[in-house]
Parts: sequence; C-alpha cells; structure tokens
Amino acid sequence: MSSEVRFTDFKSDKQPTWCPGCGDFGTMNGMMKALAETGNDPDNTFVCAGIGCSGKIGTYMHSYALHGVHGRALPVGTGVKLANPDLEVMVAGGDGDGYSIGAGHFIHAVRRNVDMTYVVMDNRIYGLTKGQASPTSREDFETSTTPEGPKQPPVNPLALALAAGGTFIAQSFSSDAQRHTEIVKRAVEHDGFGFVNVYSPCVTFNDVDTYDYFRDSIVDLDDEDHDPSDRDAAKEKILDADKEYQGVIYEDENSVPYSDLHGLDANMSEIPDGAPEDAMDLVREFY
Amino acid sequence: MAEDLNWAIGGEAGDGIDSTGKIFAQALSRAGRHVFTSKDFASRIRGGYTAYKIRTSTDRVQSVVDRLDILVALTQRTIDENVDELHDGSVVIYDGERSWDAEIPEGVVGVDVPLKSLAEDAGGAIMRNVVALGAACEIASFSIENLDEALAKRFSSKGEKLVENNKQAARLGQEYVQEHYAEDIPEYSLEETDEDYVLLNGDEAIGMGAIAAGCRFYAGYPITPATDVMEYLTGRIDQYGGHVVQAEDELSAINMALGAARSGARAMTATSGPGIDLMTETFGLVATSETPLVICDVMRSGPSTGMPTKQEQGDLNMALYGGHGEVPRFVLAPTTIAECFHKTVEAFNLAEKYQLPVYLVSDLAMAVTEQTFRPEEFDMDEVEVERGNVVDEDDIDQYLDEQDRFQPHYDAADGVSPRAFPGTEGGAHMSTGLEHNELGRRTEDTEERVKQVDKRNRKVETAQREEAWDYREYGDADADTLVISWGSNEGAMVEAMEYLDDEGVDVRFISVPYIFPRPDLTDAVEAAEEVIVVECNEQGQFADLLERDTLTRLKRVNKYTGVRFKADELADDIKAELEAEVTA
Ligand SMILES: Cc1ncc(C[n+]2csc(CCOP(=O)(O)OP(=O)(O)O)c2C)c(N)n1
Ligand code: SF4
Repeated sequence: MSSEVRFTDFKSDKQPTWCPGCGDFGTMNGMMKALAETGNDPDNTFVCAGIGCSGKIGTYMHSYALHGVHGRALPVGTGVKLANPDLEVMVAGGDGDGYSIGAGHFIHAVRRNVDMTYVVMDNRIYGLTKGQASPTSREDFETSTTPEGPKQPPVNPLALALAAGGTFIAQSFSSDAQRHTEIVKRAVEHDGFGFVNVYSPCVTFNDVDTYDYFRDSIVDLDDEDHDPSDRDAAKEKILDADKEYQGVIYEDENSVPYSDLHGLDANMSEIPDGAPEDAMDLVREFY
Repeated sequence: MAEDLNWAIGGEAGDGIDSTGKIFAQALSRAGRHVFTSKDFASRIRGGYTAYKIRTSTDRVQSVVDRLDILVALTQRTIDENVDELHDGSVVIYDGERSWDAEIPEGVVGVDVPLKSLAEDAGGAIMRNVVALGAACEIASFSIENLDEALAKRFSSKGEKLVENNKQAARLGQEYVQEHYAEDIPEYSLEETDEDYVLLNGDEAIGMGAIAAGCRFYAGYPITPATDVMEYLTGRIDQYGGHVVQAEDELSAINMALGAARSGARAMTATSGPGIDLMTETFGLVATSETPLVICDVMRSGPSTGMPTKQEQGDLNMALYGGHGEVPRFVLAPTTIAECFHKTVEAFNLAEKYQLPVYLVSDLAMAVTEQTFRPEEFDMDEVEVERGNVVDEDDIDQYLDEQDRFQPHYDAADGVSPRAFPGTEGGAHMSTGLEHNELGRRTEDTEERVKQVDKRNRKVETAQREEAWDYREYGDADADTLVISWGSNEGAMVEAMEYLDDEGVDVRFISVPYIFPRPDLTDAVEAAEEVIVVECNEQGQFADLLERDTLTRLKRVNKYTGVRFKADELADDIKAELEAEVTA
C-alpha cells in the first residue's frame, strides 16, 4: 500500500478549527507529507497529541491516534512504540504542553531515545486558553497573566534536549513548507528520538513572534555549512540566544534507539490464548 | 489443628533480617510445613527496628498471632518490641558477646550463643545470622539438612565455597546449643511432611498472574509496597517478549501503559496511594477512551505519605470514586495471596472484554507476607485469555459508517464496541479524552453525549449480568452472626472463627473479592441477627457501601494502627462488638 500513499491520505475529513492563518496548518501539512514520503500509511501510523490548539492535530489527521491529557503525549507514544515496534509513532504538542506541564517527560523521553518523532508547535504562547505566557515566551512579553512580562528567561528547548543526550535536534518554521517537511522527514528517518521544534506562529494572541519576525530573523543552517554531527558546533548554535535557526542542528549518527539496546522487537499484542507453555516454571521458582 | 511454632528474628534495618528470615521460611517450606510470614519494618534503610516473623504448622496457617516461641534478638529493642508476645517457656537467642546485656523477661529462656565468634570460625562475621538459624533448628528439633537447601538456593550464585561456609556456620550454632543448653530448652517438635510447597508473597503472585495472563508491558515508578511487582516482572517478562519500563513518575507510567494498551498489548502499572493520586489524572482518559488497562494499587497507610511501611485499607473510596467526572471502572480486591494471582488474570480479561480500566486493589499486609501454597493452586492450565471484541481486516466492515470510517465507540447493544489494534487495515481511528461520537470525534452534541455515557455504563450492566461477582463463604450459613470483610483480612478471620467457636460464638463469614461490581449481600445481611464488617481503616469504607446496598445499619470492627489484624485479637474484637450490643 505504501507506494501509493499520498499525503492527503493522512488528512481526516474534519476541517480544522484553527484560526485562519495559524501556523499549525503548515506544521501539520509538513508532518503528513513527511509521513507519506517516508513510506508510511495511516494504518501503520500512530499519532499522539497533548492538549492545546496544537494538540488538536490528531483530530485533523487520519491515522491511529490518541488525543490525551495535557503534557503526557510523550509517555503515551513511548508505550505505543515499545509495544509495537512496527508502528510509526509521531507525537505532537505545544510549547506549554511539552516544556511546561510535560517538561519532565520531555527530558526523559529525550534521554530514553525511543524511535519516534516529536514535533512541538512552538508559538511562544498558550493559544487554547487564550493568550497566557508559555515557557518559551520572551521575558518582557505582556500577557493576561503576566501584564509586565514573565520576568524570567524563556526555556531553551534545544539546549534541554542536547543536555539530556538528544540524538536528533532540529528546528523548523511552519511557513517554510519545503524545509519544514524535509526536516521532519529526517526526524522520522532518524534511528531514535527525532525532536523538531517548529516555529508555528499564533496569529491571534502573539503579536511579537509573528510570521514577519521569523521570516526576517531566521538563519538556515544549510547556508552556514553547519555540520550536524559536530556536537560542539551544535552547542554553539543552540546557546546563541540572538539567532533563530532552522535546520538539523544535531544528529548523532551512532544513535542506538531504546528498543535496540533492550532487544525489543516483538509486537506485544500477540499473546497466547492461555498461559505460556512453560508457565509452571514461574511457579516452580518459588519452591 | 496441629501445633504451630512462632519464630522471629529482629534487629536493625541493614542487619540482613529479611534474607535470614526468608532462608528459614524456605527451609520450613521445603520440609513440607506451612509457613506464614510477616514483617515489621520502618521506612528507612539503616537503623530502625525491623523484624521478620514466621508462623509455621503442618496445617495451613494464614494469619499472625500474638505469640512468639523462639526469638532471635540481635538487639535489646527486639526483645522490648516483642515482650508482650513472649510467654513462659519462649526462647530468646542472643549474643552475649555483643556489647549489650540482654534483659531476658522472666519465664523466658535465654540462650546465649556467641553468634559473631562462631560465624568468624566458619569464615566470616557476616554469617552470624546463619549461626542463629542453626541454633534455632536445634532448639526447635528441626533437622538442619532442611536449612542446607535453603542456603544453597540463597548463596549458590555466589559460589560453592560460600554455601559450604554457611552450612558450617549453621552447624556451629547447632552444636553450641547442643553442648550448652541441652537441658534447659523446652520441647518443640517440627514435624515434616512430603508436601512440596511454594512460598511467595502477594506482589509476586500479582506479577506471576500478569505474565500468565499475557501482560507484556509494565511501566511503573518505585513505591513501597508495590515495588515488588515491578522487581518480579523485571527480567522475567522479557523472557516472554515483554518489557518493564521504570518511568520518570506515575503520570508517565500510566500513560506509557495506556499507550501500550492502545497498541494492543496487555499492559499494567502498579503503585500505592500517592502514585494513584498522580495517575488519577489519566484514569479518566483511560476510561473515556475505553482502553483496557490494569491499574494495581497496593495500599499502604495514608493519607499523604502516611505510614509507608504500614498496613491499611484506606483507598477503597479512591478506587471507586477517584477522578473527576463519572466513568465506569471495575474494582477487584483479592483476599488471599493465591487470589492475587487469580484476580490478576481475571482483571486482564475483564479489562479487555469490557474495554475499561480495572483497579486491582491489594494491600501491604498481602504484599510483604510470604505464604506457602500447593503449586497446583497456581494452575497455569486453567488460565484463559479472553481478549474481547477485537476486529481484524475481515470483520471490520460491520463497524464502518456510511463513509467507510471505523467507529471505535460504536454504540453496541451490550455497550462493548469493537477494538482495532493499530496496524489493522481500514481501522485507523482517533481516541480522545474529550467527549466524542461513535467515530471518536469530539462532540458537545447533547444526544451524542448521553449516548456515549449510556454506552459506557451499559458495559457495566452487561458485565453485572454476565460475570460471576461472587464471594467466598466460611462457617455455618445459618449462624446468627455474619462477619463480612474484604482484602487481606480473610486469613485472620478464618482463624479467628476457631477462637470464636471455642468461646461458643457461631459465625458465618463472607469474604468479598469484588468491590465494584460486587455481590448482592442483601439476603445474607437480612438473614443474620448481627452483621459486622471488618476492615483495616477508620471510616469503614466497605461497610458504608454495604449499608447503602442493604439499607441496614451494620456494626464495624476497624483497625487503623498500621498493623494487620491478628487472628486472636480479631476474635476478641468481634466478641467485644457483639457484647457491646447486649449491654447497650
Ligand atoms: C491539567 C490541565 N491543566 C490545564 C489545562 C488547560 N490548558 C489547555 S491548553 C493549555 C496550554 C496550551 O498551550 P500550548 O501547549 O502552548 O499549546 P497551544 O494552544 O499554544 O498550541 C492549558 C494550560 C488542561 N487542559 N489540563
Ligand atoms: S489561537 Fe493561536 S495557536 Fe490557537 S488556533 Fe488560533 S492562531 Fe492557532
């Protein structure tokens, strides 16, 4: 089936209710294209999402999917993938979902290095709850809950990922459709945890981190002769607070995914009709 | 009933109390004797009193009693803590060479054995507890060869030499008692039988049941007293193609298990009170997405971090009502260690047949207690795996809508929708914690909402009709007094009935392993003159439920000291409760 799959096969018949112009449209299209172009089809794909405008993505895509609770999509994806390694697992969420309520899971998912793709739609604001500061909001960004700005530095998700031992760290911009798709594709193809932070502007609540802002400030790593296998070079880019980069920032070519390390290749849904044949051994151990 | 022997070893945490006790328990079990163990431990690793107690008999023993016959005391505190349980003729084994002057209570026989020096003679001071075991064998007239096997089991992975040294240490202890105390010690006789028993605790039984039932994915976060489930599965489940993940917290653990379950695996997580609180967030998602999942709560004393190493049955209301909104769940509560195995198997079948979360509620007393069983009580041939309504490519058609979309929340007459494992052609669908329609899509339509709520509840009605939500019964069905309990109190109550019988109190006893759905006890309650509900909590959570069911005021015996019921004490409590009525 996979050879005939087109990216529109991943589209559900449900019309997104995102605000017209929302960055999430582009982010999702790139994800669907990346899945189709890497030879996946809806029946072998599992999409997990959290809560937020971003989290609605599972509704608008057609595949096996779970739209879970706020911040916990990564553990769900981990369970899905470990239980059935044949599935292509993609996890999506927002910056609040992933770096605030789910920050603990993020760090551990990165270091666990399960072979799945994590796409964060980073709009630097809480969209669904109508415009509060998010962990990636700027220090002086005024919102309904931070009238004078959060007065604390934004988290740097790429730095967190690098520090946690990330094996694939990338950033893209949802309106640069081609680059975004290509970057997500590389994350899907990566053996291990492919993490892509996507600038996905919120046109309704964020008037600072806008399309224009990103268009003007983005620097493409391909234009900089950046070598993604060079961890030190990656570190330098990631800690450069003045620049907005797009591209694959770091990829560990020797990445060994969790399931390889643990020798996991069974589809755990396949179990016998009764206890395993040698199950009495489990009892005899207690003699 | 055959005479039983109550033995204990106590000292400081870190003294190897647990492994020493376990070796002796295994030796007794290998000799065809029944064993029931209990532990006193504090929530710290070094320092703090800790004890391992064994009750053994040729008859089945299933409770602790207020009596100690032989006590190995590594510290004075061990004697002090147990002084009430020592009686005339009890023996205390201690090491007079240690820097304390043992104060042996009157009537108790002190047996002073230089444990440390003898251990050193055998090859190392570390074996002093084994010297004490040898001494105990001699005192109890229990043949020391039984100990050899248990020592081999414990130490053979560390080399033959170590096994031999330990055997030698035990013999030095034995000989010392022979030489110095031959005259003074009371007569015990530890008869042996030809039975081959297995010795295991409740957590191990749950883990074993999980593997037998086809559970292949376990995610958890360590917490007393549930950790043994995880430790049991680690290394074993892998042999069957499964995996254990130590998650970063309980929020993650339950979500991982949920993900695995959505992949089609039988998945489980186990925790205790504080962890259940964290999991409650996702519990509602498990239920509304109709994901089969077994969530095991090994209760300990709460609230908050409470008394982590102490017994309580305080989480029943949480299991029944925990979580916001209203969602159906089943709550199973095994009443014996063997039942921990069987109810775990049943929990997986129920979860998949009805596509909902099942709470498997056990408790600390069961988790840390080892008990002997005939191996046949864990009959693997009897294990049946029922996966419920799983559809494949061929029969998915009947669940597609007009536009050929699969409906995971199809409004089936019995409430049970079809399940398509990911990878099934044509079955791609989304599930969500938002209220949804049959397609799994979000809806706030009033009719769809009511339809789905009703559908989810209909599963419970179906299950109530189709499954046997039965109970176990003991004693005289026509007795005036009916005692009802749930969870691990069964063993103590069964033995308490003998004490009550001696006092002329005739009791019918019903032990209930299902909290929801649960058997209808109205007739039994109405037939009895006095009804007492026994549970290890202060509020009487199960009694409250039964009162609601039967519209009858019930008496209660509650214990919330952190210590499980002892058979003799429970008999006294029941008698007191019955007499209270007479004088009132
Ligand atoms: C436990 C919990 N807390 C709070 C919320 C409310 N909530 C919904 S979405 C959201 C923030 C979403 O922000 P982000 O992840 O940045 O996604 P966006 O909507 O911007 O795409 C919050 C706080 C919730 N649903 N659950
Ligand atoms: S509120 Fe912002 S993030 Fe949400 S849909 Fe609208 S534009 Fe997108």
